[in-house]
Amino acid sequence: MTTVPLTPYPPNPAPGIAAATTDLTKVYGGGDTRVVALDRVSIGFRESEFTAIMGPSGCGKSTLMHCAAGLDTPTSGSVRIGTTELGALRDRPLTRLRRDRIGFVFQAFNLLPTLTALENITLPLSIAGRHPDQQWLDRVVSMVGLSGRLDHRPAQLSGGQQQRVAVARALASRPAIIFGDEPTGNLDSRSGAEVLGFLRDSVRELGQTVVMVTHDPVAAGYADRVVFLSDGRLVDEMTRPTPDRILDVMKRFDTRARTS
Amino acid sequence: MLRTAVRNVLAHKARLVMTVLAVCLGVAFASGTLVFADSAAAAYRAAASRNFADIAVTVTAQQAPAGAAADQPDSVLDDVLARRLAAVPGVAAVRPSVDGWAALNAADGTPLRVRPGANPAAAYVPGPDGKDRRYPLTAGRAPAGGDEIAVDSGTAAAGHLHVGDSVTLATDGPAMTMRLVGIVTTTDTQVIAGGTLVLFDRATAQQLFATSGHYTAIDLSAAAGTGQSELARRVAAVIPPDRAEVTTAAARAAQQAVYVSTLTRGYQKMPMVFAGIALFIGSFLVINTFTMLVTRRTREIALLRAIGASRRQVVRSVLVEAVLVGLAASAAGFVLGLGIAAVLPGLLSTGGELLPDGPLVVGPRPVLAALGVGVGVTVLAAWLPARKAARVAPVEALRTAQQPPADRFRIRAVAGLALLTPGVVLLVPLTGAKDASEGNLRSAMLGCGVLVLALIVLAPLLAVPAIRLIGRLTGRSGITGHLAQQNALRDPRRTAATAATLLVSTALVTGLTVIGNSTGQALDRQASAGLGAEYVISTRTTTTGVDPAAVQRVTQTAGVRAASAVADSVLFIGGRVRDISGVDPDSVNDVMKLDFLSGSAKDLGPGRIAVSSTIARENGLSTGSQVDATIGRSQTFAKYTVVGVYQDNPTAHDALGARTEVQQDGFLPHSVQRILVRTDPGSVSPATEDRLRAAVGHNPLLKVQDRPALVREAAGTMGNLLTLMYGLLAIGVVIAGLGIVNTLAISVAERTREIGVLRAIGMDRAGVRRMIRLEAVTVAGFGTLLGLAGGLFGAWAVGALANGAVKQYSLALPWGTLLLVCLLSLAVGALAAAVPARRAAALKPLEAVAET
Repeated sequence: MTTVPLTPYPPNPAPGIAAATTDLTKVYGGGDTRVVALDRVSIGFRESEFTAIMGPSGCGKSTLMHCAAGLDTPTSGSVRIGTTELGALRDRPLTRLRRDRIGFVFQAFNLLPTLTALENITLPLSIAGRHPDQQWLDRVVSMVGLSGRLDHRPAQLSGGQQQRVAVARALASRPAIIFGDEPTGNLDSRSGAEVLGFLRDSVRELGQTVVMVTHDPVAAGYADRVVFLSDGRLVDEMTRPTPDRILDVMKRFDTRARTS
Repeated sequence: MLRTAVRNVLAHKARLVMTVLAVCLGVAFASGTLVFADSAAAAYRAAASRNFADIAVTVTAQQAPAGAAADQPDSVLDDVLARRLAAVPGVAAVRPSVDGWAALNAADGTPLRVRPGANPAAAYVPGPDGKDRRYPLTAGRAPAGGDEIAVDSGTAAAGHLHVGDSVTLATDGPAMTMRLVGIVTTTDTQVIAGGTLVLFDRATAQQLFATSGHYTAIDLSAAAGTGQSELARRVAAVIPPDRAEVTTAAARAAQQAVYVSTLTRGYQKMPMVFAGIALFIGSFLVINTFTMLVTRRTREIALLRAIGASRRQVVRSVLVEAVLVGLAASAAGFVLGLGIAAVLPGLLSTGGELLPDGPLVVGPRPVLAALGVGVGVTVLAAWLPARKAARVAPVEALRTAQQPPADRFRIRAVAGLALLTPGVVLLVPLTGAKDASEGNLRSAMLGCGVLVLALIVLAPLLAVPAIRLIGRLTGRSGITGHLAQQNALRDPRRTAATAATLLVSTALVTGLTVIGNSTGQALDRQASAGLGAEYVISTRTTTTGVDPAAVQRVTQTAGVRAASAVADSVLFIGGRVRDISGVDPDSVNDVMKLDFLSGSAKDLGPGRIAVSSTIARENGLSTGSQVDATIGRSQTFAKYTVVGVYQDNPTAHDALGARTEVQQDGFLPHSVQRILVRTDPGSVSPATEDRLRAAVGHNPLLKVQDRPALVREAAGTMGNLLTLMYGLLAIGVVIAGLGIVNTLAISVAERTREIGVLRAIGMDRAGVRRMIRLEAVTVAGFGTLLGLAGGLFGAWAVGALANGAVKQYSLALPWGTLLLVCLLSLAVGALAAAVPARRAAALKPLEAVAET
């Protein structure tokens, strides 16, 4: 099934690409402390696809996600969400774009402790001053299995439940793309598997686009496609991955890193 | 541990700035007040003191004993005695003087610097060289004839007077016009500090202040080697024992010191109240800041404990931090205090009563006070958070999540109610109180203090319902309002402590504004109730009088229907000194509205008085009863019959007597102190007022006031008190603003990640700013609401006391002012949020993910 965009953005002329980067470069510091985090990365994320970005620590995978999601500004190159070029946007339209077109799932859940689970889920809609689509909301809530806990505050929920709230929050506004930053990093393996299952279901059943950064081969195994980053460059790509195959690729990086 | 404390202070510089500012304000007021008081005392001492520099002893006339033969000359201080004194061994020089008081008008006809004790007058007594060494001439010549005067250069400059001008002046009787012939300089500190000096020639001065050929004092200076007391003994042997006395300069200086210190004591109180309030309010800020600092550092402290720091070391480290902050605040506050001391005289002088000028005097007292108060308050306020820090268990270092502080709400509720109950118990019975007796006043003060404390203790409990209520309003602005409300509720104790400042200042101002407004209206009603006249012409003191001939002139002034003279004096009755008005029984009802409870004014006469209801109640009098009393200077008690009891009346004072009898023993025999003027209908106008001034010869000693002016004068004390309270509100508001900035800045820092999330999932900068602003307004609104409630309750309870003191008092709410107070408080909240809101809005959404 396909989603019907609620937002007034023009239809995507290049169907199939939800977000893309072109020659994306990010440099931190200068002089002796200059660090190139991303080196001319060009990648597209297809609609209704679950993509995992992998790589060893410090390879630039988080930076790639932050730039692609409009949280960080690249040093050079361009980022596109749908047809919108992010580099041209000032803070306010960029904020509105994040609010309406992007969903986030963070490693540390990052729910607002003062709001109930339901209030957290509808927060992006509340900020936009819109009423949630009740049918959609019910569907999302029942999918992540939170129906009985909507009145609870985050402190009254377990880590897994909190992250499910976060997933529901990301889905509630029907964004064009959801970015996940190590969404299972703080969870035990069973809760992690649940959350990954929901993300995959949202792609399969709801037609969502999900991009997730992870260093866990098992988590990446839930994705449709895995891209590998090393030293700020795209080095490999794999479709229909399994944890074993991913592990093999990762081992190659390790040995290369050790020998170089 | 000292190093840790110093490092901590440096690390939290920005956070501690607000604390330093708050304590600094308190210290500034405390030390500023002390410096001001010292300076004022010094200036007063200068103003009230005569220079005794080269005077050893002074011979003055002794009061003629009562019943002395009438044919005796009034004084023995004449040239003969002066010559005799010059012959006493050890006397180097003899300087006879004729001293008195004279008020004069400036060139534009208005009284010039007229106030008690600031307008000395003297005789120009030429020495052997034809000049008076005390008053060197700078222009013109010495006064020589009966209509010539000289003034000092300061007076001439202030009054725009020039040699050759005609000057209107008065000593104690009618106004006189004399010609200014000379300008002198003087070292008389009374004059330099903002007074006037008038010099007459010897004969004129003797006529005005003594009797022809007599002096008021003879100053003697001692030859080298002769002590004051030795000289006094020798002089005492020469002068007629019952008619003159000799005083050493040292004794007079000592007497003067006592007088001066009683004068200046009052000036210390008012700013001290400011200082106290500023420090009280400021201490909340200190407690709050240190609590938040300790909470933020819980893990760090736990780590210190885990690696072996003892509890005492942790406490000490927090306290050392407080000492450092206190020292910085004290130093800054002291400097600020000097500024306050410099501007205070100007502020306090606006009420017409001029304070003498003088240089700032910085003694050790204010320095010590600044240090003690600044460091003391800070350390005391940091004590609680320090104990809290010590209780941090080492295991906290290993925990990740920050636990919200668990407040012991039940203990708080019990403590709060335990305070509230006696507060209410003390205050409520006062609503039935009849008068402002000292006991009642004390319980009022105590009750209000306890009430405020109870409110502060209960504030965290009240925060939840109150903020929910306010949230109904802020909730209208959607999710930002909802978030703001939730954030304010997150730590009710912190919110309450932040709001406490506004609570205290709003409560104070509300209470006093309501009482002030009610009193003002009551005074207004009262003035129109007691006074039947349109104008009152009065002397400035009871020891000066209106020229009796002026009464006739006033009666004949165009537009005047009737004028009645009143002689004011004192009545010593029932062990207390009261004011008595001597009136004409026939015409008193024309100019005063007297409400007789029994008897009437018709029966007033020698030996027959009427008393006010308060005096009647205090002395158990009623119409027909007899009472022992004395009037004025009379020393012997006489029996008086009470012929009437009237409702308290500010125009009639405490008692009424027949004018002839009151005048007989007046301080200025046969004078009158007031003329009450009834005008023809519709002739109250500035023109009539001018004509009345003319009728009393533009006498600088007299005031001509219409009703509004009288009400203003009567409300003077209350008016001053209100000004003081608005000053307090200003301080309270400034400190409250600092507190809100502080709390918000810290909570923004604590919520970095939350704000980052909000930014990441689509709240724009304006939204974040609005959220923080709304939170501040919510906190401010909470403090204001609570303060308003407490203040109104206090005003209702204490207002009854005013009812005893001020007739026709009824609670009148000054809606405009109250609204203004509320708006001001909310505006402060919004303003205080500006910086933290900007900082929050500047947070990058990435912070949410980056900070772990």
